[in-house]
Amino acid sequence: MARPLEGVRVLDFTHVLAGPFATRILGDLGADVVKVVSEARPGNTPVGSYYRMWNRNKRSLALDMSTERAREIARALAERADVVIENFSPRVLDRWGIGYEAIAEVNPGVTYVQMSGMGDSGPWRDFVSYAPTVHALSGLTYLTGVEGREDIGIGNSFNDHQAGLHAATVILAALERRRASGRGQRVDFAQYELGVQLTGAALLDYFANEEAHRPGGNRHRYEVAAPHDTYPCLGEDRWVAIAVMTDQHWHRLRALLGDPEWARDPRYDTARGRVDHSDELDAHLERWTSTLDATEVQDLLQGAGVAAGVVQTGADLVHRDPQLAATGFFTETEDSGAYEGPTPVDRLPLRFSKTPVDQYRAPRAVGADNVAVLGEWLDMTEADVRAEEAGGTLR
Amino acid sequence: MRGMTDNPASDPTGALAGVRVLDLADERAIYGTKLLADLGADVIRIEPPEGDRLRRRGPFAAGGDGEEHSLYYVYYGSNRRSVALDLESDDGRARLRRLALASDVVIETEVLPRAGIEVAALLEEQPALVVVSVTSFGTAGPWAGFASTDLVAGALGGFVATTGDVDTKPLNGYGELHHGTTGAYAAIGALSALYHARETGEGQLVELAVHEAVPSCLEHVLMWAWHHEALPFAEGDVLPRRASLHWSDAYEVMGARDGSVMVTVTPDPMKQLAWLIEVGAEADLLDPRYQDPEEPRAFGLRMMEVMRDWVANWDVEEFFFEAQRRHFPYGWVLSPDRVAASPQLEDRGWWGEYDLGGSTVRGPGAPYRLEETPVASRRRAATPGGDTAEVLAEIGWVD
Repeated sequence: MARPLEGVRVLDFTHVLAGPFATRILGDLGADVVKVVSEARPGNTPVGSYYRMWNRNKRSLALDMSTERAREIARALAERADVVIENFSPRVLDRWGIGYEAIAEVNPGVTYVQMSGMGDSGPWRDFVSYAPTVHALSGLTYLTGVEGREDIGIGNSFNDHQAGLHAATVILAALERRRASGRGQRVDFAQYELGVQLTGAALLDYFANEEAHRPGGNRHRYEVAAPHDTYPCLGEDRWVAIAVMTDQHWHRLRALLGDPEWARDPRYDTARGRVDHSDELDAHLERWTSTLDATEVQDLLQGAGVAAGVVQTGADLVHRDPQLAATGFFTETEDSGAYEGPTPVDRLPLRFSKTPVDQYRAPRAVGADNVAVLGEWLDMTEADVRAEEAGGTLR
Repeated sequence: MRGMTDNPASDPTGALAGVRVLDLADERAIYGTKLLADLGADVIRIEPPEGDRLRRRGPFAAGGDGEEHSLYYVYYGSNRRSVALDLESDDGRARLRRLALASDVVIETEVLPRAGIEVAALLEEQPALVVVSVTSFGTAGPWAGFASTDLVAGALGGFVATTGDVDTKPLNGYGELHHGTTGAYAAIGALSALYHARETGEGQLVELAVHEAVPSCLEHVLMWAWHHEALPFAEGDVLPRRASLHWSDAYEVMGARDGSVMVTVTPDPMKQLAWLIEVGAEADLLDPRYQDPEEPRAFGLRMMEVMRDWVANWDVEEFFFEAQRRHFPYGWVLSPDRVAASPQLEDRGWWGEYDLGGSTVRGPGAPYRLEETPVASRRRAATPGGDTAEVLAEIGWVD
């Protein structure tokens, strides 16, 4: 059965995580994603587990962009692409002669996404960044943590994933626009601006009230709610998250605890009171959770209709999560690609009733699809492609 | 995101002009309908007659009209039309059904089943319709009935275990990041299914669970579980939380004299070493014991130690700009008031203006810049049910 983006051609010059995550999504959705790689740029090849995570469902075309012939081929491909996407430093593709202006002239329908750190203008335009850089500059690092600490922040490259999700979104919006206008467009995608807008409500509060938000631990940012935190349980570094959102939840939790003397303290009768005295309240609650297995706490609370969940690790997700096992979230690729044996994958979390996303192909060896891609996109014969390979362009 | 006008709902300058979206999303997916609304879709949000529960979320600010406005709602609920429906009544449910059939896309969080509206029946009547249904855990399986919030989603989804330090609790990220992830996936599901519907005339149901969205956005976490034996520095299948120190050992927030900065030796540790040597701060990094091929981590870990001592003596602002001048991807740890003063955002004219009932307030711009169809603030967050008559007239509803 067809997948939703069958027929969409994506020319992919991205590397590391943000861009490859965008094109992973498009590839999962059925687009023909041609990833341009080169043995001459060893940071962007299937060596290593990181590349393996983000480059399924793409075809691999080897182009040594230091050669003029490779740039010519890249231009010809860009002329036939629905989408060109890159996350190089500003103006690298211009230097290769495949910048937006050059491509739009011959391919006015192209959606051309430039995912830079800071965007293509402004005094910080040439600043270089990875996700941890963006987290720091955007306020996400400052806001994610506890009072008195600026060195915590988000413990993974979250903004790169967000960049991938948002790039996929804006590409799909531009394709919808093209259906009406016949024209594509350039998208200037600054990962810094994306990170900043994730703190949206804090910034509005600052501009409206001069209220500068501070690190808040696990406190709910938008509602008055307590207990609302993570609590230690039996076992080494095992925790459970509990979110009591209403007075009714609080009464149910009290009942589960056996309605002890401390819980009947009238200061805890209202959400405001529970938030204002949450340190004491949490200390009481911890004494209870510490005697129990995290799963037991979760199941007791959930049985009473109160939101709670084990703080799961990656190993928990992969090996022990009964819900993900039931939904079949984890599977493996149908082939081996560049590796020995299939690659484990987490499915795209979108389940389409008519166009199921059910095809997972492993990341490919550098240039494994030279013949197929250049044949399909540029009508080159296998002999032509082999000659280019021998000439050193396709490496 | 400049210039607010009360333009007609479907702004012809937006990329999604002409796409009608019925917004039945609670906090789990409202970010998705926000993305579509900001991109120019005609997004119609259904509220109960007493107003959306999310309008009571903080923070708040007084508007020019003297009312308290939810800034959460101003941010997440703008650029929409509002229709009030009592879904407890047969009449309300009938109107909802009719509105769904008049839409290109419906995004909902367990509203349709509660209203007794079957997606299959909608699709029979309107085969090109796209319905995105978002749940916390899915519609089947042992946790299908579990309650959730962003904190619980972050915990069960594997995010919380990555964040915090050995001497803190595991922490969730700022705000509701996982609901944001879910919303973005909902937008992708909607637009990709719409693409297919435009090509073929075939709409469909797209299901999405928060609990599957979260683990897909954790960088190293699944890699560690699957490939730890291939990672030279992994001990076990779980990386313990360790503040800002990245899984690669190569990024960390370090303390300068008067602030903090995220420092990394990526992508080129030798270039970093050259800077240290240039200023005489290389300490013992040239010692042969850090060049031992048997101990590939020794050099990198020592480098980070040496850097901590070096950074501690810098003025943070001077250090950040000097590093970026030399093209090192360092990041100054900034609080929201500092972010608000960013010269980069100012120069790019990035900020938007949000209507606060007779007054405006500055707020975030868009996450991307489309050259031909710019994202814009078009409408204030509508008053509850303020567009009911207009919208019902458009779809030809007759009482």
